[in-house]
Amino acid sequence: MKLRRNIYAKENMTGYLFILPQMLVFLLFLVYPIFEGIRLSMYRINYQSETFVGFDNYLTLFHDPVFFKALVNTVVFVVFIVILTVGFALFVASAIFDKNARYVSFIRGSYYIPVMVSMVVMSMVWSFLLNPANGLISYFARDMGLGAVNLLGNPKTVMPVIIFVTFATNVGQAIILYIAAMIGVPKDLFEAAEVDGASRWQVILKILIPSVKPTTVYITIINIIAVLKIFVVIQLLTGGGPNNASVTLMYYLYNNAFKYNQLGVASAVGVIMFVITLLLSVPQLKSMLQDK
Amino acid sequence: MSVTKRKKKMEKFDFVSNVIITLFAVLNLFPLYWLFTSSLKNSSDVVKMPPDWWPKSITFSNYVDIFQNQPALRWTFNSIYVSGATTILVIVIGSMAAYAFSKINFKFSNLIYIIFVSSLMIPKEIMIVPLFRIVQNFDMVNAYGGMIWPNVAGAFGVFLLKGFFDTTPNALREAARIDGASEWRTFTRIMLPIVKPGIGALFILNFVQVWNDYLWQLVVGQEKLMKTLMVGTATLMQDLNPNFAYKMAGATVAAIPMLIIFILFQRYFTSGITAGAVKE
Repeated sequence: MKLRRNIYAKENMTGYLFILPQMLVFLLFLVYPIFEGIRLSMYRINYQSETFVGFDNYLTLFHDPVFFKALVNTVVFVVFIVILTVGFALFVASAIFDKNARYVSFIRGSYYIPVMVSMVVMSMVWSFLLNPANGLISYFARDMGLGAVNLLGNPKTVMPVIIFVTFATNVGQAIILYIAAMIGVPKDLFEAAEVDGASRWQVILKILIPSVKPTTVYITIINIIAVLKIFVVIQLLTGGGPNNASVTLMYYLYNNAFKYNQLGVASAVGVIMFVITLLLSVPQLKSMLQDK
Repeated sequence: MSVTKRKKKMEKFDFVSNVIITLFAVLNLFPLYWLFTSSLKNSSDVVKMPPDWWPKSITFSNYVDIFQNQPALRWTFNSIYVSGATTILVIVIGSMAAYAFSKINFKFSNLIYIIFVSSLMIPKEIMIVPLFRIVQNFDMVNAYGGMIWPNVAGAFGVFLLKGFFDTTPNALREAARIDGASEWRTFTRIMLPIVKPGIGALFILNFVQVWNDYLWQLVVGQEKLMKTLMVGTATLMQDLNPNFAYKMAGATVAAIPMLIIFILFQRYFTSGITAGAVKE
């Protein structure tokens, strides 16, 4: 009896020692910042001095039209980019997954390379392409008689352009995930459907898309969370402009923290984003943990 | 009759879809082509209208500028160092934890694992203010440590590798233990070599992720010499030099290492990205 308890105690000890390093960095750089962020969001911070102000920072936010603009823009980005990404990736993957392997890897590679070279590089190219004075897109617009266009300087066009650039850069990841999931769907399902005379369109709609539903959930959630913190493309293409027309929550947070030195307000934005992220990730977490 | 007819129509639909997909794939690569060819033009050719689709005279002077007037070599080194060190730490620390969660029976292991996995969805950027203050307290602003450690905290490595450890037979560990091997020895000599494919996938995915990280490294690396390649390259956009070819050369330098990695390790990407996703 005693011996057995000793073995258990030893097993416990070994287990904890193995997870200890991960646990320490996790607590220090992930858990602690969350609590510290919640605390800071209720303080006014001036270099070394901190004054407790309760929910004042949140009230400041709710009275700031730029914050609302950032919130609305972020929601618009999330909705449009996620729908475009899931829809287009489904279309691409379902059309190519059963084709020749070299063709599949060519398509997969072409869409994935922009993901690899990163949003920073892609934003730099797009800012050149869209430059009103000497960008290729502006040149074509002039050539077609549209006159001088400044797509990023116009509050009506700036959002669609950023949505397109972000979507085109990142859709490759969703395509890779869908292709892998579709290749894994058992072949006999399709064969049975074909014997019954189902068309390709019906097979895709009735068999393929329902079979990859877990992948759809996963892609939707990782993309929602990725777009929620959209920053690089805003900083490099528009700087939030024109006149805050393309400001996002993350860009607003960054400016408050590192430009206006409003650390308390910035922390409050962080807490709001944290709550949104948490609520959105519940379904994904459920499915990840059910696997175990 | 009607069935075969419909089938033919659908094949046409399939054909049209694939044409569109291929066209769009090529179009999607065009910005990179334009980036690369623009970087080889001189400052007047790059803004010439109508444009030269291929540079009339190739010049490497923009690249010379990038490496001579900007510390691009240092930035590249910073990126390699930060991405490499982060990834090695993630693998060492993450594989230990993943092994424990998968094979060792200890109290609250499930609960702790759930907490770890829950954190996967929270981007560290939203807690950037407290995180920055912590790093300040450790005196790690403008230091590699400040760029590395917060990226080690995420539990993605644990999640990915646990999946690989779960597929290894428990009997293997028990046999080694009965033979008198310590837990540590069992882990390093027997279990780790088995999950090598997982470690390979994690290495590539994590390396690329840290390499392309932007916001956090922008905040921590404030001195010019402490910037990573991505952050340093992005500063060229605000550079007073109006030459677009020069900016494009900087972006090309930032893009090339990832293109090489992608071409060399394409296989790992597919397996790694999907291993991290939902298992069907």
